[in-house]
Amino acid sequence: MSNLDWSSPEARRRLAKRHAAERRFKAVGLGAIVLSLAFLALLLVIMLKNGVAGLDWSFLSGSDSTDATVAGVWGATKGSLLTMAVTLLLSFPMGVLAAIYLEEFAPRKRWIEWIEVSINNLAAVPSIIFGLLGLAVFINTLGMPRSSPLVGGLTLALMTMPVIVISGRNAIKAVPPSIREAAYGVGASKVQTTFHHVLPLALPGILTGTIIGMARALGETAPLLMIGMRAFVATPPDSLNAPSSVLPMQIFLWSDEIDKGFVQNTSAAIIVLLVFLLAMNGIAIYLRNKFEVRW
Amino acid sequence: MILTGVLLAVFGLGLVGWFAARGRARLLYKGRGSMHSMPAYHGWHMALWILVPALIAWGVWSAIMPGLVEGALFADPVVATLPTDPMTLGSIVAEAHDLASDPSATAFNPQAQALVEPIRAAQFRFGLIGGLLILIVAFAGGAYGFTRIRPDFRARTQVERAVLALLLAASLMAILTTFGIVGSLVFEAGMFFKDVSPIAFLTGTHWSPASTSGANISDNFGAVPLFWGTIYIGAIIAMVVAIPLGLMSAIYLTQYAAPAARKWLKPMLEILAGIPTVVYGYFAALTVAPLIRDFAASIGMQNPSTESALAAGLVMGVMIIPFVSSMADDALAAVPRAMSDGSLALGSTRSETIKRVLLPAALPGIVAGVMLAISRAIGETMIVVMAAGAAARLSANPFDTMTTVTYQIVQMLTGDQEFNSPKTLSAFALGLVLFIVTLILNIVALRVVKRFREAYE
Repeated sequence: MSNLDWSSPEARRRLAKRHAAERRFKAVGLGAIVLSLAFLALLLVIMLKNGVAGLDWSFLSGSDSTDATVAGVWGATKGSLLTMAVTLLLSFPMGVLAAIYLEEFAPRKRWIEWIEVSINNLAAVPSIIFGLLGLAVFINTLGMPRSSPLVGGLTLALMTMPVIVISGRNAIKAVPPSIREAAYGVGASKVQTTFHHVLPLALPGILTGTIIGMARALGETAPLLMIGMRAFVATPPDSLNAPSSVLPMQIFLWSDEIDKGFVQNTSAAIIVLLVFLLAMNGIAIYLRNKFEVRW
Repeated sequence: MILTGVLLAVFGLGLVGWFAARGRARLLYKGRGSMHSMPAYHGWHMALWILVPALIAWGVWSAIMPGLVEGALFADPVVATLPTDPMTLGSIVAEAHDLASDPSATAFNPQAQALVEPIRAAQFRFGLIGGLLILIVAFAGGAYGFTRIRPDFRARTQVERAVLALLLAASLMAILTTFGIVGSLVFEAGMFFKDVSPIAFLTGTHWSPASTSGANISDNFGAVPLFWGTIYIGAIIAMVVAIPLGLMSAIYLTQYAAPAARKWLKPMLEILAGIPTVVYGYFAALTVAPLIRDFAASIGMQNPSTESALAAGLVMGVMIIPFVSSMADDALAAVPRAMSDGSLALGSTRSETIKRVLLPAALPGIVAGVMLAISRAIGETMIVVMAAGAAARLSANPFDTMTTVTYQIVQMLTGDQEFNSPKTLSAFALGLVLFIVTLILNIVALRVVKRFREAYE
């Protein structure tokens, strides 16, 4: 090792080899990203190519039909909106309140740890399991109407709540202690401090997490399949108990049709769904960029 | 009907109580320090005293009223003229209830029509009694709350105690959900295992739940082919796609990409995770599966089917890429900078540093990430439902159609189902297995991640 000659041809060859390996490695890394994104692009292009011709007013305002040319997505969209309303109304308050309790008030005790562990696990439980829960509890035990936005929303709310709790806790944790201490210093109680000062500052972060959780719930199909939301619904649902479909379920049902005309419908419905999701994620990113405070 | 109105009235009363108590507390205010709590807290205290007891009374009455109505109905002389057979009687009564709540409904049984009036009368009578009781409770609570408004009354402390109870109740929801999942799965799976032996279920290799033939019903519920299909698609094919692509993306993004490129590439990669699984499923069935079938035919396979394990696994792998990538990202970021700096200072190139120093140091974190990715892949439903097929077979050929646990759960619970048949209940047994396996994967992975983080802190 003592008399290494860096200018000898052999050393140069070695160096060149190592640098070539370096370049190869970097190219493989870039290639991995490009390949993944190419797949994404291919998926989007194929859906656009198949579906964009089917996007017209009658498609957006119509409901499901056995005839591919008159079938539309409004019925499913309305079902999705009703379901999401139930999900949001339940999971948002519950999630935020639970996050506040766990982050600000919970005593460090064994049973609190159980709550934390079960929230972390619920966030990773396969969605189809929530569907089984919904079927066994809401439909078989409580006798709620099958295929309704109410049961769908309840099931998805159970699924979404852990996501909101986790993001809510992170947002609350990010509020610096000095805010709390300042509030205590002027005589605020712990509850006042939390609700008047910590919560407003954490709210943008909580909302971002909520929107992302809702976007996931909006695209979810498997749990709703379990609670029977796969009925053929030719009229938009007019109440929370009426049989209804949702957008992803409509996509699934149409994808099973043999009639070639439904290929266009399926792709067009996918475009509608992706537009909704894109809008929601856009709002989440906007909120994060606009209101996020780096302490 | 009446009860809904009463509920609204109770909320109205609560609002009135809030303003009344706040107004009264304001009158008591005699300058700084003269009162313990601010007037609004007296308002909340009063509103809680109106709402909470009244809502409890409302809940109790809603629960017992159907029983009371039924009791009154069976005391009615009309019922004596009906058939005494409990089945027929039950259906007539149920129909009469539908008619009573919705006059436009049509009755199949003419005898139900006669019951409508007694039901309406009983509902009206008991609704009225209940409504009055609830309102009395609300007024009593409100009156008690109102008498407590005094300058030295600690209304805020009381209200905050109620808020804390609400917060605790919300947190307990998570435990309740977990118990609900475990309870319902265990209960329904228990019913299944009454008919089918658990050992045959977990070790049998023949899965044909639809067939009722065979001497022993347990022989038709051997789930090993499903487990194999799940592992083959979710843990092997999907991971062969997702691990290299996800890991290399993470390495490129964290080690090579310029900050500006990273800012754009990472969210774009994350779009892959945000696309609904039903869209992936459709893409797999529409585009990927035919390509793979044609490829299989070109390499000499006999009659390749459109649905193949490879199509589902490939697309699932792509779906998991951003997940693996972000887990690897975290693991790489957790390695102390001094380690890679030391390696670079000794003259190794970046790729040598990554391969020899960073990856070995980050390995526990990456393995944990892969475990979480597998738990996600085996619980994935829509892609396999749309692209993998229904045939339960033990095969290592990726072009074969294969079925998974999640596919069979969907299959058993949709379409015509007879309740409590072993076929329907098998879905819950499969769900239980899936839940346990993903739970173990998650717990072990989170442990590993935690220990790994601590090692470098």
